[in-house]
Amino acid sequence: MAEVENKNTDYTIDYFLNLEGEPCPFPAMTTVNAYNNMKDGEIIEIISDCPQSINNIPEDAKNRNHEVLLIEQNGPTLRYVIRK
Amino acid sequence: MNRLRKSWDPLIVVPILGVLSAYFFGFTSKQWAVTGEFTRWGGHLMNFVGVDTSKFSYFKLIKFQGTPLDRIDGVMIIGMFIGMFVSALISNNVKFRMPQSKTRVFQALGGGILAGFGARLAMGCNLAAFFTGIPQFSLHAWIFSIFTVLGTYAGTKIIQRPMFQSKIKMKKVHKTTLYSIHDKDHTTRNNWLLVLMAVLILFLFVIEYNKQSLFPLVLVFGLLFGFLLEKGQVCFTSGFRDLWTAGRSNMTVAILLGMVISTVGTFVFIQNGIPATIHWAGLNTVIGGFIFGVGIVIAGGCETGWMYRAMEGQVHYMLVGVGNVLGSILLVLVWDQIAPFLAYNAPEVNLLKVFGPYGGLIVTYIGYGIMALLLWIYVRWYFRNIKKQAPTNITQEA
Repeated sequence: MAEVENKNTDYTIDYFLNLEGEPCPFPAMTTVNAYNNMKDGEIIEIISDCPQSINNIPEDAKNRNHEVLLIEQNGPTLRYVIRK
Repeated sequence: MNRLRKSWDPLIVVPILGVLSAYFFGFTSKQWAVTGEFTRWGGHLMNFVGVDTSKFSYFKLIKFQGTPLDRIDGVMIIGMFIGMFVSALISNNVKFRMPQSKTRVFQALGGGILAGFGARLAMGCNLAAFFTGIPQFSLHAWIFSIFTVLGTYAGTKIIQRPMFQSKIKMKKVHKTTLYSIHDKDHTTRNNWLLVLMAVLILFLFVIEYNKQSLFPLVLVFGLLFGFLLEKGQVCFTSGFRDLWTAGRSNMTVAILLGMVISTVGTFVFIQNGIPATIHWAGLNTVIGGFIFGVGIVIAGGCETGWMYRAMEGQVHYMLVGVGNVLGSILLVLVWDQIAPFLAYNAPEVNLLKVFGPYGGLIVTYIGYGIMALLLWIYVRWYFRNIKKQAPTNITQEA
């Protein structure tokens, strides 16, 4: 499993949300709450080790017309980067 | 290989599960179901602590005899657990995850008990009284589904209370590097466990082949069911609950599509003489469905949902499983007192008998049509509503 060390992005991340340890549905619910507290165009990085979140977090973002910049599924921990 | 590691779209996986569940019925004359077997495990547990299970009529009702290895449901469920574990290993989803707070432990056990109790009161869970129950043309499955939907709505109101919310807050940052994820490299461990599972599967094939020639096939079905549930992260709870929490309907649509597909197959088998499983369309189904709905939302997963998550190493869902078995034991203990006026007096309604074979089929598909229409209306309404609310959120923030 290639571990991503300090990978650089060509965008600036404004918020970071680490949801490791939270079971379903709380990663998705917390993320939706986070969007409500962000301004349009701001970017959030979300970390979750709930495998189910792959069906939730990107879908919720798309449903709200937020842009999914990155989905990374290498191991048990998933990463999502979303632009509101 | 990469495709095998990534998770699969539920919109493809659930219809395949629908087809397989119809075939399973064709081969075994049994619905794909799990909670009945978990109740029998409760029975084994009661025997183990010295309780005489022969005096409880519920165990006669669900034919409690032998060991899991001698029962179709038992063999199938063992297959499911192994299939889930194999899928989780291939997907590199196996990680020991401990509950983060006492609240979550309470939710897992309490919700699990409610779900187990409710499911058995209604004679089925998200499978036997919904996903594989409606395709059996049993009215009780429709009643169960309606009250489960209501129960999940009530459950969502409960888990939306502040005490259940995640304590984790987002942090304001300003960075151009991604967080480095500290997952250990589990490749070697996972490969060894896969080898171990292969040996176990072969071993089970031999044992089961010597019991009954059908059993190895049942094991294959179990393995496939389990593998697909984990691969697709198929969560029936999500199919209901997330409509209320986020207006998300991808899982709901997938499940509906799965039932639309499996109903035809099941119908053909029933027409060719395999008896449909019909249960009491009574108050037990109404109450059981509602309690089940509340329970699965509090727990965070229903029967099939906790199974694959437990195999991924999520301790929370192992507790849900324990709760389920405890809840089913509770139901067994009270069944003889409540069944005479909640279940035994209610009719067992077979839609294929009430409306005739093709009439019953048409009525069922009209039912699916209504479900799809309601879903479409609800989701549209939901997103219109949050658009209206959006400006208020921003002003609150400012």
